[in-house]
Amino acid sequence: MGISRKAAMTSGFVATAVALTVTGCTSSAYPADPDGTFDDVSGGTLSVGVVHHPPYVDATGAEPTGSEVELIQAFAEEIDAEIEWTASGEEALITALETGDVDLMAGGLTDQSPWSSQAALTRSYAEDTGPDGKTVNLVLAVPLGENQMLGELERFLDEHHPGVTP
Amino acid sequence: MNQTDRRFGHTELSPELQRSLRRAMRLQWITIGYLAVTVSLIALVMGSSQAMKAAWIEDMLSFVPPIAFLVAVTVVNRRPTLQRPYGNHRAVGVGHLVAAVALLVMGSYLIIDSAMGLIQGEHPPIGTFHLFGQTVWQGWFMIALMLLLIPVPVFLGRLKMQVATELHNKVLYADADMLKADWRTSLGTAIGVAGLGLGWWWFDAAAAIFIGLSIVKDGVSNVRTAITDLADARARTITGEDPHPLVEKAEAYARSVDWVEDAGARVRDEGHVFHTEIFVVPHEGAAQSPARLRELAEGIVDLDWKLEDVVVALVEELPAEVHGGVERDKQSEGGRASR
Repeated sequence: MGISRKAAMTSGFVATAVALTVTGCTSSAYPADPDGTFDDVSGGTLSVGVVHHPPYVDATGAEPTGSEVELIQAFAEEIDAEIEWTASGEEALITALETGDVDLMAGGLTDQSPWSSQAALTRSYAEDTGPDGKTVNLVLAVPLGENQMLGELERFLDEHHPGVTP
Repeated sequence: MNQTDRRFGHTELSPELQRSLRRAMRLQWITIGYLAVTVSLIALVMGSSQAMKAAWIEDMLSFVPPIAFLVAVTVVNRRPTLQRPYGNHRAVGVGHLVAAVALLVMGSYLIIDSAMGLIQGEHPPIGTFHLFGQTVWQGWFMIALMLLLIPVPVFLGRLKMQVATELHNKVLYADADMLKADWRTSLGTAIGVAGLGLGWWWFDAAAAIFIGLSIVKDGVSNVRTAITDLADARARTITGEDPHPLVEKAEAYARSVDWVEDAGARVRDEGHVFHTEIFVVPHEGAAQSPARLRELAEGIVDLDWKLEDVVVALVEELPAEVHGGVERDKQSEGGRASR
């Protein structure tokens, strides 16, 4: 390979890196959401999909209750968002996450969830005992690739240590 | 590492070459150690980034050439036997081919995998780590690691290239060439992740495709050289571009012998060493004896350490496909209009 091509590649990389740094500084958040989920929900409406799964989520009443519901209410309060609840089945809600109709999903999901290629799962926020007596790691789900949303939610979960027993 | 005499089959290595070989082996062990560390670190932080996956696969593949080299050196060390009359030099070529095919296959896989992700609009999720009470975006660790990994391979590659040339070892040379280019992968990955952080979800997969392309390019050129050598192409320089000057040198020596009218060599690259068949047309009426042929062969062997296995054949005229001097070489190259 000739020196000139190498030099051209290097300068290309440097230019890109500089461009990234500059735009990175002007952008409000890093990492940013490709679809702007976090910007939309903070100070706005947080659309939450819940699956009936006591004790984490009880969706039988007019308003859902349960440990994960309380957790999400605290998160919404922190980011100044109004919650709009949607109670449905897991698959329907995953589809809603993919289409962007739902911003956050809860219902006793674990880090072993088969949906991990359709939704971004948070780090586990608590442990519990599953139906087979084994330990499960509880998670929440947000739309894939909305990394600011994922990061902000994980930061909230880290700070609030929801504890082991839901 | 043992300090016993290293050899290439029949070929006794001079003290300098022994040193080069030991240095090469040491460099390969260092490379394996370095790769073990990088592969673990990348696995630790890679998350769902396609570019990080690409960098990880590339580093996993980088294990193949040093291991192939170390195995080949051990195998080549054996002397030729009745079962393996040419020695075991081809071990180098086989190692080279294996490494090259691995590059080609994995590079293609990466490109297809990343392109599928782009087409389906997959947005890679990258979360956070919780460290010392802080929640930190995982992407920062990826970028930092990739930037840290830039200088080492360039340095290792340069050192290896030097010994590869001394030892005429094409596996080592190809390995060094790839390592020298490895900084592009690291920087490309860092940029891919940085772009992802800006919300450009496609940036990561695009970076992975570029890495895949560079792996495929390495694979294609290496498969080509490896196959050419295994298929007994004539000996070429380590870059694979020109005919090796020793071919010309051996012929010139043979022609300088008083009873020889014309001479041509057929030389193949066995890995480190060459196997030479030298065809000799004697002067009309010159008396030949086994001793004269042996003297001629010994003279050629003395030219260079790589020329150890030399066979002299008396012929009435030179076969069409032997080198037979630069003039003839040019004619035959022109006729084929290739390379």
